[in-house]
Amino acid sequence: MMTQEAKRLRRKEGISAGLMLSPSLILLLITSIYPFFWLFRYVLYDYNGFVAYFTGLDNIKRAFTDVVFWQSVLHTFEYAICKLIIVIPLSLLLAVIIHKNIPGSKGFKMIFFLPTVISASIYALIFTFIFAVFKGPLNTVLQSMHLISAPIDWLGDAKWVMTSVIIVAVWGGVGNYMIYFLSGLSSVSSEVYESCMIDGANARQTFFKITLPMLSPILKVILLLAITTAFKDYQSIMVLTGGGPNNRSQVMFLYIYQLIFGSTSSFNIQIGYATVLSIIAAVIIGAVTVIYNKFAKKLDDVM
Amino acid sequence: MKKIVLIAMLIACTLSLVFASGSQEAAATTKTEKTVVEIWTNDRHDAEYMSKVVEDFNNSNDKIEIKLTTIVEDYPNMLVMSYTSGNAPDLFYMNARGTGFDLQTFVKSGMLEAYPESLLKDPEFEKVTDASKHIVEGINAIDGKPYGIYNVMRSGTRMIYNVDLLKKSGYTEFPKTLEELVDMTIQISKDGNGEYYGISTCASAQFERWLEGIINKSGIYHYDYKNGVFNFDGYKEAMLLAQRFFKEGAMFPGSNTQGVDAMRAQFANGTFATWGNASQEAGVFTDQFPIKDFEWAVTELPSLDGTTKGTVDSRPQKGLFMFSSSKNKDAAWEVVKYLNSESVVKGYVEKGYALPLSIYMQSVVDMSKIGRLADFAPVSYEGLYPSVPAVSVAGDSYAKAIWNCIVSGTDVDKCIADLNKRYNEALEKDIKLGKVKRVVIANYDPLNPNAGEISYLSK
Repeated sequence: MMTQEAKRLRRKEGISAGLMLSPSLILLLITSIYPFFWLFRYVLYDYNGFVAYFTGLDNIKRAFTDVVFWQSVLHTFEYAICKLIIVIPLSLLLAVIIHKNIPGSKGFKMIFFLPTVISASIYALIFTFIFAVFKGPLNTVLQSMHLISAPIDWLGDAKWVMTSVIIVAVWGGVGNYMIYFLSGLSSVSSEVYESCMIDGANARQTFFKITLPMLSPILKVILLLAITTAFKDYQSIMVLTGGGPNNRSQVMFLYIYQLIFGSTSSFNIQIGYATVLSIIAAVIIGAVTVIYNKFAKKLDDVM
Repeated sequence: MKKIVLIAMLIACTLSLVFASGSQEAAATTKTEKTVVEIWTNDRHDAEYMSKVVEDFNNSNDKIEIKLTTIVEDYPNMLVMSYTSGNAPDLFYMNARGTGFDLQTFVKSGMLEAYPESLLKDPEFEKVTDASKHIVEGINAIDGKPYGIYNVMRSGTRMIYNVDLLKKSGYTEFPKTLEELVDMTIQISKDGNGEYYGISTCASAQFERWLEGIINKSGIYHYDYKNGVFNFDGYKEAMLLAQRFFKEGAMFPGSNTQGVDAMRAQFANGTFATWGNASQEAGVFTDQFPIKDFEWAVTELPSLDGTTKGTVDSRPQKGLFMFSSSKNKDAAWEVVKYLNSESVVKGYVEKGYALPLSIYMQSVVDMSKIGRLADFAPVSYEGLYPSVPAVSVAGDSYAKAIWNCIVSGTDVDKCIADLNKRYNEALEKDIKLGKVKRVVIANYDPLNPNAGEISYLSK
């Protein structure tokens, strides 16, 4: 039987928890949930921010035949998969090396983390200079190492543009995930490693048999965050290429952004149509997340 | 104890807020004698001069006070938001064809106040602005009613070139036709041997920057004003020629994805010979990236056959528009009159910010004070086309689609057929919705597009 005092304490805790949660809940309602439902208002309209014209199912029909949009969906998957394949193992590797506390590791940790605190549009702008064709630093270095014979048009050539935006994405994201992994690594008890050493395990065995399984709970969270972020990335691509050349680097959210806010040389404002695409994009990302969660559960059973 | 400190701090904060607002109110009441006219602008380059103009007015006028605010980001959206939230300024500046600003939508939504007859008939106002000559449908007027009057202008596009690089390749004169320009720039790139190139573009407004001006000067426009439909057929010849810039190595490599300032810096560094842009480049190449190591010159755009058959878009600037929500309309019109007075406009032009718009002002301004801006002096075939219906097109805009076709060297006919189809489908759909009207000009003359009789059709 719970005493009166315990009941009172529990009620008090409930109230204070509610109060402490309320700012986040209110913000979530205003900035995430309300705008999501707001989207549905204009699905059947051609809306330019001033006047809404009823167009029936035109926006929905157009969405299913819009070649640029479906190309942008494919590009988003291409971008996200390539980015994740590189950024996750790389950040884990960096975290493991830095965790060993070798001399200078603190400095490296800071350097790797630095891109996270710089605005994506700023570092993308810097990369446009690095990628410059005419006497650009990257081309000059590659040419001096005899790796390429002629300068590459990193941002203007359809063959190379996706590689370029992925390089920038990896550079911008690796430090962030490295910090997540480092916090995961610090939670693994040193005694486990000590007993490992006593048992004669080598570095490879320690990593695959101890570190990785012990990291699995945090790895799942990091992967989930990385997947949703990669699918929603568009800021650096907007600065680097604006989706070009010929829409080769156009991704879902950049296309939607251009339709909502207008783009001087691309579109005039088409909010109604953009809301339909936003809903489709949300469904796509939702589906990817659900699939990942199922996969992650299976991962649990195996590990 | 902690609780007491916390409560004391809360009380102190609340009291300070109460007293602060009280003192603000007190301050406001002492200033109520003057009517405040609030103006928004998105121009930063002239801020120093405009602040002085405002200060002079505020010091000499004891009834009206001007408050000038610069809005840098997202200007048209900020204007809309200010109006819908009831915080709109009395007046705002907008240049002709300002990015993101659609006059039709603003007027249709009842947001703007038309210029009063009394001001338009004021001889001094007319003398400085030539207002009656610069009322263009869809740009600053709807149904003949003007909502904004400009007083200065940016020139139409010109070709700016490196005289030394042209000479090195044996050119003493700038080409008169697009084909000659293509041949010349290919030759310069060959002579440059990877050190310098013939011509360049940049990442923004690539097609509009100079190529579209060349097409328009040849009497070709993407909207057929006689029949009220979009028609891109005339662009074919220029597109085929422009593809050679890329195929045959005339274009500065990678310039297609570089920012405008990066390419200006390259031009000032002598790494390419030809750059197309309007009169703002006068300031760029004298102050921002001053050219010291070579001679540079400015010339008119070439055309397809070397003759002038059409209008090249110029950009009247500094148009003041009034929000219908203004509570101080009379005072605001007074301010409009002051900001369009001879001394204010003369000072503005002589500072080198823009070119004079009216014939009278061209005669009063001391052109020796404006430096290289004089090279961009207005020419007879520069003007404004009436606004084309702003349709919601599915897919890329014509400028983007045409430029993509030029850069990638793909089928020009296919690109033009696709544009004709998409633009006219969008036009018919938007007319049906009542969103836009078909613009038709009887007796349309490409050299004088505003002279014909304009009608707006709902079918």
